[in-house]
Order: sequence, then structure tokens, then C-alpha cells
Amino acid sequence: MIAKGARARRGPGALGAHEPAQVVEPVDAAETAAALAAAAAAGAAVVVHGGGTLQAAANLPARYDVALLTRRLDAVHAYDPRDLTIGVGAGTTLEVLARRLAEHRQFVPFDAPLAARATLGGTLAAGWAGPRRARYGRPRDLVIGTTVALADGTCASSGGMVVKNVTGYDLGKLYVGSHGTLGALVRVNLKLLPAPAARRLALAPFEPETRERVVAHAREREIEPAALLVLDGGFVPRHLADRDGRPLVVALFEGSEVLVDRALREYRSALGAAGVAETRILDDRVAGDAFQTILDGYVGARERSATFLARGLPSEASARAERARGVVPDGYALETIADLATGDVVVRLSWRAAAEAAFPAAVGGLRAALGRAHRIAGDPRAWELVDAWGETPSALATMRGIKQRFDPAGTLAPGRFLSGL
Amino acid sequence: MSAFASRLLAALGPEVVLTEPADLAVYAFDAFTENALPSAALIPRDAREVAIAVRIAGECGEPVVPRGAGTGLCGGAVPSRGGLVIAFARMNRILELDVRNRRARVQPGLINLDLSKAVAGHGVFFAPDPSSQKISMIGGNVGTNAGGPHCLSYGTMTNHVIGLTYVDDAGELRRTSLDDPGYDLTGVLVGSEGTLGVVTEVEVRLLRLPEAVRVCVAAFPDVESASEAVSAIIGAGLVPTALEIMDALITRAVEAHYHAGYPAGAGAVLLVEIAGANDDVAAGEAAIAAIARAHGALSWRAARDRAERDLLWAARKGAAGAIGRIAPNYYIQDACVPRTRLPEVMHVIDEIARAHRLPVGNVFHAGDGNLHPLLMFDRRIPREVQAVIDAGVEILTACIAMGGTISGEHGIGFEKRETLSLVFSTDDLAAMGRVRDVFDPRRAFNPDKIFPSGAACGEVGVRAAASA
Repeated sequence: MIAKGARARRGPGALGAHEPAQVVEPVDAAETAAALAAAAAAGAAVVVHGGGTLQAAANLPARYDVALLTRRLDAVHAYDPRDLTIGVGAGTTLEVLARRLAEHRQFVPFDAPLAARATLGGTLAAGWAGPRRARYGRPRDLVIGTTVALADGTCASSGGMVVKNVTGYDLGKLYVGSHGTLGALVRVNLKLLPAPAARRLALAPFEPETRERVVAHAREREIEPAALLVLDGGFVPRHLADRDGRPLVVALFEGSEVLVDRALREYRSALGAAGVAETRILDDRVAGDAFQTILDGYVGARERSATFLARGLPSEASARAERARGVVPDGYALETIADLATGDVVVRLSWRAAAEAAFPAAVGGLRAALGRAHRIAGDPRAWELVDAWGETPSALATMRGIKQRFDPAGTLAPGRFLSGL
Repeated sequence: MSAFASRLLAALGPEVVLTEPADLAVYAFDAFTENALPSAALIPRDAREVAIAVRIAGECGEPVVPRGAGTGLCGGAVPSRGGLVIAFARMNRILELDVRNRRARVQPGLINLDLSKAVAGHGVFFAPDPSSQKISMIGGNVGTNAGGPHCLSYGTMTNHVIGLTYVDDAGELRRTSLDDPGYDLTGVLVGSEGTLGVVTEVEVRLLRLPEAVRVCVAAFPDVESASEAVSAIIGAGLVPTALEIMDALITRAVEAHYHAGYPAGAGAVLLVEIAGANDDVAAGEAAIAAIARAHGALSWRAARDRAERDLLWAARKGAAGAIGRIAPNYYIQDACVPRTRLPEVMHVIDEIARAHRLPVGNVFHAGDGNLHPLLMFDRRIPREVQAVIDAGVEILTACIAMGGTISGEHGIGFEKRETLSLVFSTDDLAAMGRVRDVFDPRRAFNPDKIFPSGAACGEVGVRAAASA
């Protein structure tokens, strides 16, 4: 168990107070596979580490001997911009990837928090799917090929470098969201999108009692934004907050200049009709930076806080966030994001030291109110106190079978996945 | 009647179980050349009947082959080892429509086009639109991860299926959803060609109908120049909703049949659909037309109204059928290349067809790099039959050499199973075999499909078993 006051990160690969005895940094698929085979032969347990930004989204490992850092798996294997596809090492950070793609006016809308640290492989393995997925699809939908190193020392590829492909099982889907429990992603091939010509972020603070109207007006738009969020409390970035600490409705518009202008006119007047006095507009680079800051907030952990994400229907997101705010016990505070386009509700629960004993009950209350809630960030104390998912999948036997076939000795992140997988 | 057929009949009754050879004949084949008679066919009314039949098949050691409308071109629905065929014509309802959240839950026997028709009044549509959409079923579309012209900007089935209910090898109903935590079984099941379970319900995402749609036709001197234009359009970062090419031969056949207004004298025709907001559509057309002209387009014309648009599309989607006018038989290939390789691959296909003295027609999803060469032949002439088979393999090999693959949307089925090992290594196939081991340890779901027979297939099973 974690000692009180344990630091979140010490050496590379540390998870809470769990430090690996060994750290390996393979440079290619063969080295990765060899490292896994060696660990399997020695009966050691391996945790794959990208940027470590979403490590709180899984449980602490039952055993932990070797940290496999992917940061040197950052080669660009294949990139002809005219194909609108790229094949890159899984350890590439999303910021580096974004910069490379921007040179050719292309992008991938992965919406990862802390993009300077977050890696492609880690973001995919954690199953991250951010606010813009309602417009562009999930990260999984842009993955057209994968190569993984497996615990038996082999490497296995699926998919390819073409945008349409029905050639054998689409195993990339299996590795995305598997939290490194089936293999180590080595290479990922992606379908790319042409970058929008214009991007604007509309920010509008509103009075809490007008919430329902504001949400309805923001949602029912002729031209839909690429992202639409209602931020409460500390999720409003400090430099965007107004003095009264009011909630903020945020809409990101992307597309041609003409379309974005028209969308903004329409959106502003709709919010005006809902009683919103002022809408601030940020342009292009400033808009992108502000949106990234909002995304960073999703995993912005403080001491004695834990953040959970609950998927659901878009039409119910605001009401679910409201419900969550209504079940906060004494000594606890709650901040929320309601994603009106995807249905995600994000809640950050913070507590005073004296109230810590009630943490599992507080999370239980939230999970009851939201239907479910998956931890995505938090103080290492929270890692020990509650399960990251708090639910059992209906197809658990099948999932257990898959884990067993891919990793019979339990080499890869044992116990990190849901229900002890 | 086999003991298996009698057990099914006893358990489920003659309303849903067919056992007479005359009734079973229609379930012996799909649109591929192979056929084999099953012992029985189930035409279920609900998932419970599917589960019971799968359980009985398991107890009798018989294979189970799920089937859509039988439009598949690769023999994916052929019951090569007999057993049970499950056909979904009766399970064709929309169970739930949630317009606000743009989702629908449907049965697998629902015809693809019927879904879009049923929801159009709500301002939404279902994007995957294979050319067979007037008859093919959503369940079959799930099996092959079907595409269609519009997946250029909307993606294929796997990007639109958000949850499934399926009957597993034990005859139990299982539910998967992208919203649920755990391994993404939905993503694995889509495109698995019925080898992992029998899908009994599909949850799909719907898209908002675009504000404006424009369909344009450009004439080119030849397929190479049209292909170069497509590569350039994609390379310029313009991704319209569809970019389709038809060569001279196909265009003539299609015009003779449909009189849709395609330039019949052109060496190749490019069909472009641009959809979105009003302003974007006009600007998009201008930009794409400019690139087309720069690459040799002889003419550019936009359809005037909805009727003209629909007719252009009907003709395009009916292209394969129109070939019946000019050749006794044809063989349609399905392969994919990176989009920069389009002009080159078209040239290679032409050379291969010439070398084998076969007429070839090309009608394809150019924007996706998804080729459909149609090799024309006469089944009664043995030389031609062999030439078609050889040319098909040469085309696939050429596509692989260019960094492409052997199926973009039709699947592997029975037809291309031996070719799969040209794309994937033994280790790659072993990983897929591990998944198969979990879902279908008995190899009872749609046997003889996707994976190579003989040594390679044995290896997949043995390797996975050894690592268990």
C-alpha cells in the first residue's frame, strides 16, 4: 500500500509508489519483442509507458518489475502527405506528430490532454476519445494499421497503409483501449484529415440558473460545432474565467472561413436568445491553444482529487452532470464538464483530509448518479482506494479468454485492466 | 434428413427451419462461383431462435454459417461444409430510433437502403452505402465491414457500428458497446465475416443530412489522367464525399442501360459528390473542377437537380449489372492501393488484362484507392476461365507490391483465403488465430473463410494452442 504523502512519480515508469526494478527503452519492434520475451521467460511483469499522462486511467499493477518506455519508438516509417496517411512509431508524442502534419496542413483530432507528453501509443492504448469525436470519429476510427510486440516475443501486424481494408481481423481495434494488457504497440498507421482553414473558439459565461436554456440553444444548431462543452468550476481555465466564476459554454468551430463565420453568427444569436450577454471569440492559434488548455484540465490532478469520465447520451449530458453535483457528500467538492456533443460527463472530486475515509462511498454515489464513471486522473491515494472502472463488462469471459491467449503468463500489466484482467 | 436437421426441426418447427433440398438450394451459394448444400436453414424470427439453433449445432458438431442477402462476391456465405445456414430475412426491423442522439438499433436482416429511407424524414441518414444497398442487409454489411462510394469521407461500417448483440459459440446472447469499458469486441466482430459469432442486433450511428449536395461529372481522355486527377485532389487535401471513376467500356455499358447523361464518348468519367454547407459546396466544386481541368478534364458538368443526381448514382451503382450487356460472364476484383499509386496501378491492370487477352472494365472508388477491375470472359471457354483466375492473382500481387491490400470492402471469404498469406506473416495470422480460438474454438462459425487452408491454417491453431 501507498504510504501517506507518497509522491506520484519518482524514477521513470513509477506508478504511485510502485517503482520498477528495471527500465528498458527499445528502439524498434524487434527490441520491444525481445524485451517482452525476456520478461516473460523470467516471470517478470511489464508495464508499457508512453508519456504517462493517462496512467491513472487503469488500476495499479498486481506485480511490476519492468517499465518499458516507448519514447525511442518515434520513427516516421512512412509519410507521403499526398496519400493522407502516415505510419509512425507508437512512442511519438502527439505534439510532435501534430507539428509534422501541420507542415502539410493535415491533422488528427485526438484531443489528448498534455499533448506535449502524451504519446500516440499511450493515447490509443488508454482508449482516449475526446470532444471532437462527434465530428471526426474516435481515434480508433483513424487507425488503419498496427504492429504490436507480443509477450511471446513475436510481432504481429494487422491492417495496412490503405484507407479501406477488409483483410483479416481488424486487431488494431482490440489493442486500442486495452491499456497495454495484450501487447506493446510499436507502430501505428493513421488516416489523416486535411486541416480546417479556420478555427474559432466561442466562450460564453452564463448565469447558473439559465443553464437549461443555454444548453438547449447551444445544442440545437444549424451548423454544429466540432466540440461543445459546458465547463464548471476549476475546469474553466484561469485565463478564460470571468471574475464571478460562472460556468462557461465553449464551442469550437472548424471549417472554411465562410462556414465558420456563418456558424458563429448563428451561434451567437442563439446564445443571445438564451440570455447570454457576451460571447468572446478566440481565433486560430489562440483558439487551438485555449482548447488544448481545456483538454489539459481533464487530467489536471491536484492533491486529494480524482477525475472520472462517464460516457452517455449527448441529450442527457447536462442533466447527468447536474445529478452528479447533487450527490456530493460533506467535505467534498465537485467540478464538472458536460460534453453536449459526445455525451461525456467529466467530474473532478476533491476532498479535505478529514473526509478521506468517505472517498469510496463518494465515488460510489457518483457512479450511481452517472450510471458509470471511469477514473482518468487523480492523486495516487485515489488509485489505491477505488477501482478505476467500478464495473464488470458483460462479455468478461470472452475478454478473459483474449487476455489468456495473448498473454498466458500474465507478463503485460497484470491486474491493471478492469475486473483484474 | 440428418439427425441434426431433425433436432432443429423438433426444437424450432417447420415455420423457421427448412430441411428439404429444394428449399435449401437458395442457401447453397452467394454471388461467388462455389456452392454447397447445407443440412438445414434457419429463418429466425428472433435472437432466441438463433441461440437455440447455435446450441444444437454445437451439440451435433455442425458448422453454422450466418448469411445476409447473399450479395457477397467472395463466397463468404457458402456453407462449404454443410451444416446450418442462418438467413435473416425475417429479422428486418428498426427496433429503436433515437434521432436526438443520432442512433438506431436494428435487426441484421434490415436492408441497408431501407434504414436511410426510414430515417430520412428526421433529417438523418446511414452513411455506408455499398452498391448492393438496395438488397444487401445490415448484418451482412457488418460481416464484411462494407463500404461504398460515400465512405471516402464518412468511413466504412466499422466507423458506424457502435454496438452489437451476437450469439456466441455456446449459444449465449452477448452484448457489446463502444460505450462500455473493456476490449473493443465490437470493432473485432465487424469485418470478421461471420467467423466469430452470429450477430442478432446492430446499433449504428446516424449522420445529419447535409445542407447541400452537388454531383458533378467530368470527362477525361483516359483512366490514367482521371486517376492522376484523383490523386491530385486528395493530395491537395480536398476530400469530397465521393470520387468515383468509370472507364470508357463501363461508361458505354452504363449509358446504354440507364441514359443517365454520362459522356459516352469519354475515355474515362470521374463522378464527384460534394456535400456540406451551401457555401462550402460551391467553393469545393470550384477547387476540384480546377484540379480536374489541370489534369486533362475535357468537360465538367454539375447535375441540375435531385432527379439527375439520383440517376447518375443509380447508374454508377448499377454498373456491374450493366456489364451483362457486353460479356457473358465477368469477374469483379476488389483491391486497395495508396492513393498516390492509382495512375500506376491502372496502367499495370491494363497490361495484365492485355497479356491474358481479357477485356477489362474499371469502375472504382478512386478517392479511397479502392479498385474494382472487371475481367470479362466466357465461362464455356476453359482458357478464359484460367486466364481470369491468373490475372486476378497477378492484380492482387501488384497491389500488395505497391503497399496495398487484397480487399477494400468485399472481404476475403472463400475466394481469397489462400492469398491472405501474401499480405500477412505467420505471426500476424497467429495473432488473428488467437482471437478465433476464443470466440470459436471449434471452428464452427463459417469454416473455410478468411484464413488459408492447409499448413498455414493448422499452424494458426497449433501456435495459439501452444501458447495457451
